[in-house]
Amino acid sequence: MRLFVDFIPVVVWALLAVVLVIVMLLASWVLRPHVLQNSSKTSPYECGEDPIGPARISYPYNYIVYTILFVVIDVMGAFLWLLSASTLRLEALILWQALIFIALIMGAISFSMRILPQAALDGKETLELYHEAKKAQKTKHMH
Amino acid sequence: MQELDPLLQLFEQVEFLLLAGIILVFGYLALEHKDIVYAAFFFGVMASFVAGLFLLLEAPFIAGMQIAVYTGGISALIIFGVLLLPRAQDRTLEVLPSPRARKIGLLLSAFVMAMSGGLALVFPWSTDIPQGMPEYAQSLQGLAEWLWQSHGLYVQIIALIILTTLVGTLALMKMEKAETLKDITAEFGVEAAPMPDDEKTEEATN
Amino acid sequence: MVPLSWYLVVAFMLIGLGAYGMIVKRNLIRILIGAEIMGNGVNIALVAFAVYGGVFSYTPQGLVILVIAIAAAHTALALVLMLLYNRRYGHVDLGSPVQAEVK
Repeated sequence: MRLFVDFIPVVVWALLAVVLVIVMLLASWVLRPHVLQNSSKTSPYECGEDPIGPARISYPYNYIVYTILFVVIDVMGAFLWLLSASTLRLEALILWQALIFIALIMGAISFSMRILPQAALDGKETLELYHEAKKAQKTKHMH
Repeated sequence: MQELDPLLQLFEQVEFLLLAGIILVFGYLALEHKDIVYAAFFFGVMASFVAGLFLLLEAPFIAGMQIAVYTGGISALIIFGVLLLPRAQDRTLEVLPSPRARKIGLLLSAFVMAMSGGLALVFPWSTDIPQGMPEYAQSLQGLAEWLWQSHGLYVQIIALIILTTLVGTLALMKMEKAETLKDITAEFGVEAAPMPDDEKTEEATN
Repeated sequence: MVPLSWYLVVAFMLIGLGAYGMIVKRNLIRILIGAEIMGNGVNIALVAFAVYGGVFSYTPQGLVILVIAIAAAHTALALVLMLLYNRRYGHVDLGSPVQAEVK
């Protein structure tokens, strides 16, 4: 049997999910009161407080390093998933390969976590650069 | 592999056309949507529909890895990259290509697409799936044997590439930080923050 | 029955779309997305050849696994290079004048 025949229930489920979302959006559009929209209605909700300042803030560069670590673990997990999903007899060669693979990646991760405090850049200048560019754009529009 | 009945064959074709259309539309949106955050999200959606194409092609593990790495990892990376670049999030500040360059590029790529697609349609490929197609469980088994038993060196090379990426990334950021520091006392790339006095005396006595 | 040429047409169209993005776009993030779309097209072509090749072989599927792993690595490196580009030049648009030098 072809693989996609096994996945027909998944396709039906996906179509049902799409239909459900459309029906819910339509139903809420039909049922909700269509009142006048004003500035206090369209402002972002911050637990009842008035919003202060712009939503754009700068993030430290560490965030992308953590995401890279996540992707690395992801790739490692995929490779080991292939090994664990099979019924390969665990010979010494395969065992050593898997151990060296894990050790290399874990070594890289531990090294990067160690060096991370020395390489930590606070992303403050990204926001400054953005404001500068925005100001330059505004002055260009005025002239 | 036994013949499918005609209804299932039709279903396969409809599924393929649907998937291909969705992939191409989302791929176009990922390049052309004016808000770059939406573009990154559309790329993730496109990658997960490509996994559906891999399921049609009898490659379940590739489909799983596509969803795990492309949709889960790479699109998340791109979204975080956009998050860290406030300048890129503002669509009014984006530098767009000139309309002439855009038109020429579209024409060129449409020409290449039409030529290569026409050649692919005309060329006499073999049209059947071969007889010895493995089942789902055997397919994982065979792939694991290919990767871990016969080509185990490739796995180590992948590990080394990942190691190089991580170390190179951190080294680039460290060099950037070292350049921004005011007084560099040691050679390039070494942390050069001014030390407290007591540590200095400690080092001198050592 | 879906013939091999249909898969190849989709793969070539994805490659063309990615090439269009890489040639025309000036924003580095969009260029990166174009490169990823091209990689997806190549993967589809490889897996299609693996299935319709006459004799079934695991080599193309194994190659696609390696390609996906390397794609994750090069995307990570490209994004960090992009952040440092922004730090140096103040924008991520190719061919624009230098806006600021952060020191």
